[in-house]
Amino acid sequence: MTIAILLTDLASSTATFAAADDGSATPWLLALGPAGAGAVYFGLWRYYRNTHKSHDFERETRIAAQPATGHDAKVNEVTGTRKTRIDGENRTDHRQRVQRFD
Amino acid sequence: MTNLPPPRPGGRPPATDTQNDPAPDPIIDTQNEALDDGVNRCPQCGATEIRLRPSAGMLICLFCRYEWSEARLDETISNGDLGALSGTTIGSGASDIDTGADSLITMKCAGCGAEVVVNTAEQMGARCHWCRHVLTVNEQVPNGAVPDAVLPFEITHDDAIARIDRFAGKRRMFADRAFLRDFSPENVVGVYMPYMVVDGNASADVVGHGEVETRRYTRGSGDDKKTYYDADVYQVQRHVDFTVDDLTIESSAERANMNASANTNNVINTILPFDTENAVKWNASYLTGFTSEKRDQDVDHLQPELEDQLLSIARSQVESSVDRYDRGVRWERERLDVHGTRWLAMYLPVWLYSHHHDSGGKGMVHYIAVNGRTGEVMGSVPVSHRRLLVGALTAGTFIEGIVIAILAAS
Repeated sequence: MTIAILLTDLASSTATFAAADDGSATPWLLALGPAGAGAVYFGLWRYYRNTHKSHDFERETRIAAQPATGHDAKVNEVTGTRKTRIDGENRTDHRQRVQRFD
Repeated sequence: MTNLPPPRPGGRPPATDTQNDPAPDPIIDTQNEALDDGVNRCPQCGATEIRLRPSAGMLICLFCRYEWSEARLDETISNGDLGALSGTTIGSGASDIDTGADSLITMKCAGCGAEVVVNTAEQMGARCHWCRHVLTVNEQVPNGAVPDAVLPFEITHDDAIARIDRFAGKRRMFADRAFLRDFSPENVVGVYMPYMVVDGNASADVVGHGEVETRRYTRGSGDDKKTYYDADVYQVQRHVDFTVDDLTIESSAERANMNASANTNNVINTILPFDTENAVKWNASYLTGFTSEKRDQDVDHLQPELEDQLLSIARSQVESSVDRYDRGVRWERERLDVHGTRWLAMYLPVWLYSHHHDSGGKGMVHYIAVNGRTGEVMGSVPVSHRRLLVGALTAGTFIEGIVIAILAAS
């Protein structure tokens, strides 16, 4: 069912894209097949092997925390960047360790 | 081979009055005083044929069917206010392992006087070969074999088989053929795994930068049209005080090694957490009919892992406080102050199905694990790369066919 919905969405977006295309996007559209094959291989492999799974101790442990405190200070401005996110964003990557300080 | 040492909480030296000596870590005595090594009898009829009845979580006498349970550890050790926890407190069953302590213990059978040897590396009880009484190891010998508490199995063997069968059944199509051929979930084994269960009181600081978008605009036209962004950059600092209750850490070095390219220990880690608040005082009879793995890590060995997990928890706790940074936050430095910890060693129940898989001359044991309390299942099923490749190519060809059909039509 999910695969059918995905394929319908794919067909619909490809049709829209192809209709508005002047020919330059054709190689990208043709790459969807190999990319899809790679995604299916990797997705199934992960479903079977579960190498990415671990105990979600940040959420599944009983934690009592005081409200976070701190301060924020504007230190710079960025103008005319094409990047949509800050470099090295790790807000949600809680397990990525950064430099320890005393 | 050693005779039983006099009971002393752990392998730590006794406290001394010498002023120059640092104060030893406080130790909570969790020794089950009601039990000794050797013959432990049914409170009702005196038989020694005692084992766990998982469906009830109770010990049962196989002779008179009387059922009972040891007291919950929480009833004897008050959790108290974790925010006031300071220093390092260790349960006597979590004390440092004495590397010189022998795994072999000789017990005198109270039934007939024979001497019976138990290898605590493999089992925590034995049957007297003369009078057939069951002898169990209950005193906290300093070799890591007797923890502070045990959480009995509640999921039955049949239930575990059904859960493993369902888990593997969903993964048949692309599974390795040898795995399917050998698959026999009735071979699942009940194992008590060693863990340290830690309460902690800590504070953490994190420092980094965050960005808030102030303007978004496009330049160019046609194919050269591009989107640009302006943003304010902030230095962000956060502090959080928090306590954790029953953070559970593997205390076997082999199980703690979670290198996914070499082993599948991560699937055993994934079935955490356990309801550790229901762990009961040690009684080796809970292990009858199951296997156990001995702890080989001390508190000092596990401090880095604890600090790593506490920092991750701190980062998780401050996440919502930086929501305003719509272009994200980059944490750059972090600090952890651990004010107090309390460590208890526990055996936690896991149903484990294992399959040794050889691939390209490299062997790996794939586990399917079931949490012996909650029934949560996680596993690793070896794949047939040939089948997976065929499946992926079929899907890719199908997608490509749709794309070509649409391009041709447009």
